[in-house]
Amino acid sequence: MTTSEPASLIGELTDPASVDDVEWAARLLAATPTHEGRDPELLRQWARRADEFGSRLAPVRSTAHVIERDDGLKRMLLARYTSRPPTVELYTDTLALAEELVDARGWRDWYPPGSVRAAALAHEAVHAHLHHGPAKGALRQALGHTVLRLGRLRVAGHVAGAEEVAAHAYARTVCGLGRSPLLLSAALRAALTRPGREN
Amino acid sequence: MGVVILLVMAAGVGLMLTRRLPTAFALVLLAVVIAFLAGAPLTGKNSVLDTVLQEGAPTLAATMIAIILGSWLGKLLDETGIAGTLVRKIVEFGGDRPTVVALGVLAVSALVGTVTGSAPAAMLAGIIGIPAMIAVGVPKVTAAGTVLMGIAVGIPFELPVWQFFSTALELPIPTVRAFMVKLFPFALAAALAFVLVETRRRGTEHAWSLKSVEAKPRSRRADLGDAPWYALLAPAVPLVLALGFELAIIPSLLAGVLYALATTTRPGEMNKRLLRTLYGGFEVAAPPIALFIAIGILLAAVKLPGAVDALEPLVKGVSPQNPVLFVLVFTLLVPLCLYRGPLNVFGLGAGIAGVLIATGIYPAAAVLGMATSYNQVFGVADPTSTQTVWSAQYAGVTPQQVMVRTLPYVWAVALGGLCVTAVTRL
Repeated sequence: MTTSEPASLIGELTDPASVDDVEWAARLLAATPTHEGRDPELLRQWARRADEFGSRLAPVRSTAHVIERDDGLKRMLLARYTSRPPTVELYTDTLALAEELVDARGWRDWYPPGSVRAAALAHEAVHAHLHHGPAKGALRQALGHTVLRLGRLRVAGHVAGAEEVAAHAYARTVCGLGRSPLLLSAALRAALTRPGREN
Repeated sequence: MGVVILLVMAAGVGLMLTRRLPTAFALVLLAVVIAFLAGAPLTGKNSVLDTVLQEGAPTLAATMIAIILGSWLGKLLDETGIAGTLVRKIVEFGGDRPTVVALGVLAVSALVGTVTGSAPAAMLAGIIGIPAMIAVGVPKVTAAGTVLMGIAVGIPFELPVWQFFSTALELPIPTVRAFMVKLFPFALAAALAFVLVETRRRGTEHAWSLKSVEAKPRSRRADLGDAPWYALLAPAVPLVLALGFELAIIPSLLAGVLYALATTTRPGEMNKRLLRTLYGGFEVAAPPIALFIAIGILLAAVKLPGAVDALEPLVKGVSPQNPVLFVLVFTLLVPLCLYRGPLNVFGLGAGIAGVLIATGIYPAAAVLGMATSYNQVFGVADPTSTQTVWSAQYAGVTPQQVMVRTLPYVWAVALGGLCVTAVTRL
């Protein structure tokens, strides 16, 4: 931390909850390749639309096989979905650290006990849903990113990272979380990359 | 004496494999030792100092110039946003379907692979392409492999490579070009098969990664904006000129540089950008140039009359002349071009190629077929080659994982190349 960094940024690093959910989503998009140099306001707009799309999704049933692993902290992963075969991997060490962090930060009202695991399953269920069904096209239309216009024909383009934002918004809604799981991801990342911490 | 020379070569491979010596230094050391063993005098005709070192070092000078120009064009593609725009457009148009995105990145990698090679080529296509593929669900090993297989599709049309084989094997450019055109369909088919089979076999993958959000907003690279559509044709300009209009390699590459510059840069900024990217290109080109100097020296050593006389009976005894045996034996030997092995074309393999030609065991055109077939394997699957190491590590996997996944496909390319060689050149 340098003295030239603005006070608001110092506040964000010590209290990530001071950043709203849409801003976290916009930062996820900003960190996703292909968005280098994009207007931050456009990223915020896409983040808001993807968040709304995920929040409005009807409940999704996952048929994926669930397995547990304990090497998430090393790999900086909380959960992973693979389509062949449909499997959700839950990283129990990261989930345990998330629960600890929720208590330490005083965020229990936002993330009730066991809700991080439920959010992980809900998040990965959306990936399975988007992978197999027509919902992906609906997300693209909802984002409204036009990449080609030929007269009245309009081609909506893919926005890398929007699916991830939608999956987090869906998890927040169906699990009744007070804040987006993205806040928890940011706090976990900050805790794991803190100078002096060893995994 | 031939046996001793072969033992020295084996020791050289050992030095490279164990990384006790960088490849370029090991090749020069080998060349000097081989020259002394072949009975070469210190100075004068066919000597260590005058022939091997003095005349050998600049043998591949034309290749070095082509490498510099390719690297210059590569730097321009990066700095002007041409490579980034190509990948970004592919993701925007095809992002719903991971296979389509992977095929698009494969195409961009192939285009980049015709301009420049090694890690810089992988970076041009992969810096945005690899994470973009991962973001749409392409598994990491497949993403890294896609960039490498794409570059390998471009290798048969990489103009500096044409120049290298032309000079090193003393073959005219049209002969090299004619074989490369035949090798290309195998490289293309294998790359398409890799993307289609691997994305189907492995499916998609999405991770809730803690790295996806940053507490501190990322400091952005200066906003370059998208390059105009006509600038995106820049990587194809040298290829079209060299292949379509049979223009010489260096002017073709220079035309590519000028086209990329003219389509992206305001006149007032041209001089600055040209110089900056040229100097940047020198940095990129330094490692291959060091290697080409060493290869030139090694080639001069193995072509000394004493070396040829010593090696001829030995190499002749183990080199198959029957076309079927030729294909079988050299296909089975494919793994020897991995891990800087003895058949690595940009290592001792160049020396072995020189021996095969100098001793008259195979025609130069057949050696070209062998060497270029092995180059297709080395360029993708060798876990010690810079492009493989960079792509794998950038994707978050090991080079060995990439080797295991890609080797069957590039081995098939080598088989195809060797079959064409046996049918047309033996």
